Amino acid sequence: MDHQAEMNQPVTDDVLLRRIERLQLSYISSIDDGPLDSWPQFFTDKCLYTVLSRDNYDRGMELGVMRFESVGMLVDRATATQHAAVFAPRVIRHVLGPALVDDTGEGYRSRCNVVIYQTSPDGDTVLLMAATYDDLIVEQEGVLKFKEKRVIYDTHRIPDSIVYPL
Amino acid sequence: MDGTQTTNESETDIWSEAGTTRVPFQIYQNPDIYAQELERIFYGSSWNYVGLECEVPEAGDFRRNFIGEREVLMIRKDDGALSVVENRCAHRGAQLCQALSGNTGSAIMCPYHQWTYTLDGELTGMPFKRGINGKGGLNSDFDMKAHGLVNLRVESLNGVVFASFDQNVAPLKDYLGPDMVKYFTRIFDGRGLRVVGYERQVIDCNWKLQMENLKDPYHAGILHLFLISFGLFRLDQESKCLVDDSKGHSVLMTAKGTEEGKEDTGGVRIAAPDFALTDHDLIQPRLEFGDNITLSIQTLFPSIIIQAQCNTLATRQVIPKGSGSHELVWTFFGYEDDDDEMKYLRLRQANLMGSAGYVTLDDAEALEFSQVGFTGSPEGEAAVLEIGGTDCESNDHLVTESLIRGFYMRYRDIMGYGEAGT
Repeated sequence: MDHQAEMNQPVTDDVLLRRIERLQLSYISSIDDGPLDSWPQFFTDKCLYTVLSRDNYDRGMELGVMRFESVGMLVDRATATQHAAVFAPRVIRHVLGPALVDDTGEGYRSRCNVVIYQTSPDGDTVLLMAATYDDLIVEQEGVLKFKEKRVIYDTHRIPDSIVYPL
Repeated sequence: MDGTQTTNESETDIWSEAGTTRVPFQIYQNPDIYAQELERIFYGSSWNYVGLECEVPEAGDFRRNFIGEREVLMIRKDDGALSVVENRCAHRGAQLCQALSGNTGSAIMCPYHQWTYTLDGELTGMPFKRGINGKGGLNSDFDMKAHGLVNLRVESLNGVVFASFDQNVAPLKDYLGPDMVKYFTRIFDGRGLRVVGYERQVIDCNWKLQMENLKDPYHAGILHLFLISFGLFRLDQESKCLVDDSKGHSVLMTAKGTEEGKEDTGGVRIAAPDFALTDHDLIQPRLEFGDNITLSIQTLFPSIIIQAQCNTLATRQVIPKGSGSHELVWTFFGYEDDDDEMKYLRLRQANLMGSAGYVTLDDAEALEFSQVGFTGSPEGEAAVLEIGGTDCESNDHLVTESLIRGFYMRYRDIMGYGEAGT
C-alpha cells in the first residue's frame, strides 16, 4: 500500500484537472437533473460502483447498499428505479468539494467530499448523507470514465431509503 | 396465552371490538400507548434480539444495542459466556460505552467518574472511595452489591443472542415454541456465522408497521414490482404461512420457479414488459438449505425478523423510536464455511435488500405513506384486515393477512386490551 502511494504522482495538469472536474459535475447532474438513463455512460463496461457505509468500510466489510460491476448492472438499476420502484417523489442535490487527484499509473485516483441533500414534495430538505467519492478514472478513446467509484458514506443511519444512485 | 395479564382498564375503549380484523389507528400514534408498549412488551416478559455471538468473539468484546429505548451491551466474558447489561452507570446514569462495538478489557469503566464494573455488571470500585485523608468519599455502609448494572437474562440459540429484562421469563425455546425453533434452526443450524456487513435506516413510522410488513405476503406480490417481474416472489408460487401457537411469531416461505406456466398475477400491473435484467446472478439463488424454499421470512415477537431472500441472509432488528419512528438495523451474515462463490453471491444479491434494496426501498416508502396517511385520524377509525378471512391460522397460500391478525392477538393480550376473542 505504501509502495502504491509512492507510485502516485499528484496531477498538476490544469486541463486534465478541469476535465476530471467536468466528469464529476456531469456525473452528479445525471442524477440530480437527469435523465437517469445517462448515468451508466460515465462508467467503463467493466467497472465497480459501490455505495457503502464508513462503518462497514472501517470494519473491512465490503457490503454496500448498492454494488454493481458492469454498465449492464448500472442500466438495471436506472431502469428499475424509473419503472419498478415505488417511492415518494424527491429531488436529490449533490454538492462536491474540490478533489485530490493522483496519477496511479493505472488511472487517475480522485478523492473528494460530497454532501447529498434530499427534498420532499412538501419542500422539506434533509441531509441524506455526508460522504466521500473514492474514484479511479481512466481515459478510453479520448473520454474520461469511472473504472471504480466508491461512495463511502459517514451517515450510516440513513433517513428512510436510498432511491437514486449517489 | 396464560391469561395472567391484567386488563388495561383505562385503555380498553381504544380497542373494544373483538378479534383483530380492525386495528385502531390510535395504537400507531398515541404516545401513552407507546409508553405502555415499552413497559409491557420490550421491558416485560419478552426475549429480545441483541446480536450474534460471532460479533463478540474475544473476552471483553462488546456490541451496543437497544431493547425498546434502553441501551444494552452484549459482552463476551472471560469464561466465554455472554452477559447483557444495561449501558447505564449505576452512579449518575451516564452512558458507559459510546462505540457501536469494541473491547472493554476486563472491566467496564464509566468515563464520567470512573466507576468500574465486572463484565457481569458488578460494581467493583471507584476513585476516592474513601475520600482524601479521611475526608469525603463514600460512607462505609455504602452497599456495593446493591449498585451494579442492570443485568439481563441471556440465552443464545445456535449463535443468536437474546436478552430479557424479566429474570423469570420462560426459557427461550419455550418462548419460541417448537415450530419456530424448527425454522429458526433451518437458517441458524449451528454452523459458525460471520457478519457480512450492516445497514441502518430510520423510518418514520410506528415500529409495529415494520413487523406487519414482514407478516404481509399480500403486499409483497403487489407492491414489489421488481420481485414480481422477475419471479422472485409471486402470489401463485408454492408457499406456506405458519403462525405459532402463541400467534405472535410466524414464518412465511415461497419457492421460486413453482409459478412457471402460470399467468395469474391477479391483475397486478408489472414493470415495463421489455425490462430484461442484465444481471441474472441477482435473481438466481443457489439452494443451500436442502429444500426448494428461496424466500423465508421469520418474524419473532416482538421485533426481530430473520430473512433469507435468495442467498442474502440477514437479521432485521426493529428498534422503536417514539410512537412515530423506528430504526431498522440489518445485520447481513453468512457462514464461516461459505465458499468464494457463496461469499460473492451474498454481496451481490444484497442489492435486493437494505436501505437501497430493489425490494425493500418500496417497503420503507410505503410504511411512511401509512404513518402519514392515518396521522390525525379521528378516534375509532381503524385499519381493515380481512384478506384471507378473519382467523389467525396457518395457510398454504399467500393472499392472507392472518399473520398480522395473529400478531395483534398476542399484542392485545399483553397490552390488556380486553378480550381479543378468536
